[in-house]
Amino acid sequence: MDDLVIGMAGSGGDGIVSAGESLIAAAAYEGYHALMTKSFGSQVRGGESSCRVRLSTNRVENVGGALDVAVALNWEDFLKFGAELPVSGNTVVIYEAKTGVAPEAIPLVGVAPTEVFAVPIGDMAKQAAGSDKAKNTVVLGLIAGWFGIAREAILRGLRKKFIKKGEELVAANQRAFEMGEQFAREHPLKQPRMMKRPDEKAGKKLLTDGNDMCAAASIFAGCEFFGGYPITPSTEIMQFYTREVWKYGGAVLQAEDEIAGIGAALGASIAGKKAMTATSGPGLSLKTEIMGLASIAELPLVIVDVQRGGPSTGLPTKPEQSDLFAAAFSAHGDVLRPVLAPTSVADTFDVTVESFNIAEQYQTPVLLLSDQEIAQRKETVDPIDTSRFKIVDRRKPTATELSDYHRFRNTEDGVSPISHPGMPGGNYQGAGIEHNERGNPTASGRVHQAMSEKRFRKLAPLKRRTDLFKVEGNPDAALALVAWGSIAGVCREAFLRAKGDGLDVKLLVPWLLYPIAEEVYRDFFASVKAGFVVELAYQPQLYRILRMFVDVPAGIQPFNRSGANPIQPREVVAQLRNASLSLQQPAMPPSSEV
Amino acid sequence: MTTTPPILPTYQAKDFKSDLKPIWCPGCGDFGVVQGIYRALASVGRAPHDIAFISGIGCSSRIPGYTTAYGFNSVHGRALPIAQGIKLANPDLLVLVAGGDGDGFSIGGGHVPHAIRRTLDITYIVMDNQIYGLTKGQLSPTSKRGLKTVTSEYGSLEAPVNPLLYVLAYGANFVAQGTPADMAGLADVIEQAIRYPGFSFVNVQSPCVTFGMEGQQVKAHRATMKTLASINHDPANRLAAMDLAQQYGQSLHTGVFYKNPDPPPTLDGQVRERQRQLAEKAIPRERILDMFVQK
Amino acid sequence: MSPTPSIDFTKLTLCDALDLATIIEEEAKERYEEFAHQMELHHNPDAAAFFLFMLKIEALHEGRIAGRRRELFGDAPRNVRRELIFDVEAPEYHEVRSTMTHREALETALRAEKKAYAFFDAAMKHVADAEVRSLFSELREDEIEHAGLVEKELAKLTPDSKIKAEDVEDEPIAH
Repeated sequence: MDDLVIGMAGSGGDGIVSAGESLIAAAAYEGYHALMTKSFGSQVRGGESSCRVRLSTNRVENVGGALDVAVALNWEDFLKFGAELPVSGNTVVIYEAKTGVAPEAIPLVGVAPTEVFAVPIGDMAKQAAGSDKAKNTVVLGLIAGWFGIAREAILRGLRKKFIKKGEELVAANQRAFEMGEQFAREHPLKQPRMMKRPDEKAGKKLLTDGNDMCAAASIFAGCEFFGGYPITPSTEIMQFYTREVWKYGGAVLQAEDEIAGIGAALGASIAGKKAMTATSGPGLSLKTEIMGLASIAELPLVIVDVQRGGPSTGLPTKPEQSDLFAAAFSAHGDVLRPVLAPTSVADTFDVTVESFNIAEQYQTPVLLLSDQEIAQRKETVDPIDTSRFKIVDRRKPTATELSDYHRFRNTEDGVSPISHPGMPGGNYQGAGIEHNERGNPTASGRVHQAMSEKRFRKLAPLKRRTDLFKVEGNPDAALALVAWGSIAGVCREAFLRAKGDGLDVKLLVPWLLYPIAEEVYRDFFASVKAGFVVELAYQPQLYRILRMFVDVPAGIQPFNRSGANPIQPREVVAQLRNASLSLQQPAMPPSSEV
Repeated sequence: MTTTPPILPTYQAKDFKSDLKPIWCPGCGDFGVVQGIYRALASVGRAPHDIAFISGIGCSSRIPGYTTAYGFNSVHGRALPIAQGIKLANPDLLVLVAGGDGDGFSIGGGHVPHAIRRTLDITYIVMDNQIYGLTKGQLSPTSKRGLKTVTSEYGSLEAPVNPLLYVLAYGANFVAQGTPADMAGLADVIEQAIRYPGFSFVNVQSPCVTFGMEGQQVKAHRATMKTLASINHDPANRLAAMDLAQQYGQSLHTGVFYKNPDPPPTLDGQVRERQRQLAEKAIPRERILDMFVQK
Repeated sequence: MSPTPSIDFTKLTLCDALDLATIIEEEAKERYEEFAHQMELHHNPDAAAFFLFMLKIEALHEGRIAGRRRELFGDAPRNVRRELIFDVEAPEYHEVRSTMTHREALETALRAEKKAYAFFDAAMKHVADAEVRSLFSELREDEIEHAGLVEKELAKLTPDSKIKAEDVEDEPIAH
């Protein structure tokens, strides 16, 4: 096997997520590509919890479809995760024997997995480690035994994790692990499924989640200030800052509210520093007024919105792609605010650096639209060569420009040199009120028109940034997929599978969501007769925005549903197959011939 | 006096006055406030380009534009968070914040306690006129109970906020009040506030000549005001300050209500210290992803 | 240090006194200039014109005193600075209104001149130096002269109309 999807569930005390963490860490160490998502009940502590780990010798970009391996420490908890842990006839099901359920009576409706193991996991843990707290280590042993994954790396990880508490605990866990392995040896699978080893050259991978990647990338991009307020699922970005930013001479403010968070970040930008804030849907609404201020005052600022199910509190721990309208359009007045979205933990680095570069280059707020899945999933990432990234800093005024300084000088490209407090000669008045080139307030319609035109004109070059769009497949294909954010990873796998099945299809994944780069889409759609814009939201938001700006072919349809209803690659492939069939149907003859 | 050449100050009040002409109504109290600020800044002696002057929205929030400092006329109620970001980003700057009573005690009221508890070295000047002037005379958070305005046709049913007690209760270490009826006194408290290491608050009774009450104009101030010095108030006594602050709205006390003689360390100072302590632990930016390598 | 230190009149030299008088006139001149702008901005041409007139009077006066100082003391450094005074001969900010009549503008100036008279009058009680005393006395008389000038203008004016600006003007603008 070269691809394995494991889903595990238990109660919080079972440490099943912790087992997943050990597994993915070992996988990353070994050089596997891997990805892990976690899902929890609504209890803050001690509720049901689950994780999905996908390991592969090839690049993985989504959590995969049906599970290859399902681990249930108890069935009640497992079943609560429903579609997040889908079991098929091909799934190896492992569960705690103590549940008293007979293998032929497992409570899975409509599927009859061929390999089902009732394992006395708790008893084994007690026997090996003297406590059933080591259940999760037994599970690791079972998985390592049946699927041949990363034995040494897992043991290394366990040692690292428990050594702080003494050799005794390390040894106990090793025994629990080995007992799991032994059980697997004694109960071989009917159809062996040993994982292929990763390529020798694969090398160690980075392992992190989207929020930490975003935070690290922002520091790489030169960010020195974070202002924000805790909100799931974005808070880890602020937490990262509280650990790291001081080291770089910067500061972080956990503000009294969302507004103060972005306000402080804007202040830092006024002071000449690169700054950011991060939030999720409800917080984005609160920050909107100051985003407008940043637009008219022409201040660089990166606002991260980690989307979750909405509106309002919605589904705070589940992914959804329903903030695109808000990101692009929630503004008072005439505002053009760039919106970018990463599609994976790996490209969160690129997109974050781009966001800062665009913010600095054009002196504008930039909205970085992440989502719960990318933000909180763990993913292996190939080492990134940071030297290939250019860091852009805002354009400072020259001595000549300072001698007659106009903060908002209407230059040819619309970008005006920007000073900051502390810079002699650059003193100016920034404001939310419309202003002339010097920054003095005005109510003149003529100036307002000219300044609006300037603020839009400066962003025009963005639409020519074809590097912010990933296009794959035959450029002349009649069948197409468009996807953004975490769903892009699902669609890329669907695209590869469909191509493997012989479909002539192409894929467009935008990092830049707004402004709409009309020409990029026009070129892409030129050959297209059918296809889908795939989105995880009840309203197909990108699809609708595209139709505002571009002649979207009639055969391009939305394929979408509400968040927390994961879309699987096979569904997208099925859609493509149907669309392809419809393309092959003979055209209806003209009516006169009937 | 002429025998020894005097040491001239680096800056004069006029160095802080911009070319922009105020659009305030003639007679507005804010004219006096900006004069007081010019003078305080001249006395403090920092270069205009080292000063960041942030305001919210309202007539009074036009004030940064009338100075030569770096100004920022932001949005309603949010001057304090923005100013704190500036100070944290560059603690070398002298950061002034100004706004009206609506800005500070209504829409932005929630920011005040936090600005206080953070003890950043910034100065907050509120021009308190007990009315919303820019929007034509609605009730403000400091309007007296019973005041008839366009939004209180039959008289306000609500008690006003007491700005002095508010900030004292939240632990402000420097609290003063001034009025343009005593220009020298006003300039003096503003200067003391700026010099105070930490968050300092000055409430200025700055009358609105267009919508304000007759009894709250400069002439009335002059008739009734009492300097705290003249009643032998000890500004180190916080409880006495709170006692006097209770009289807000009844009698006009000017001067320093409270000045903690033992100011706690400033946040900006502590931030610098933390940056210094942790600097050596930084992974170079270009290698920051090393932290994600599985070891 | 207070931003507005008090003046020690007992130590004032003639040169200092001339400088002090200069800055007092300078302050008044600038205030009238500001008032003229305020009145122009608020479309009160009568008051604006009058404040411009006062500006010229104060400028002339300032020029005369400054000239005398140069004659006597050349460019010897100045010991007194603007920060020593607040509103000595300058009418106070709160005294004007956008709707003020020509007469009210004159009355504002008259009060300012009388205030300046009172300042020099009070200062003289503390002044030790004979030359300074004589200068202050002279300046005090100047203020009487200026006041007289304004009073004469006032006398020429017809009484203010019963219809006040407030009765006819448009409502203030909300922003």
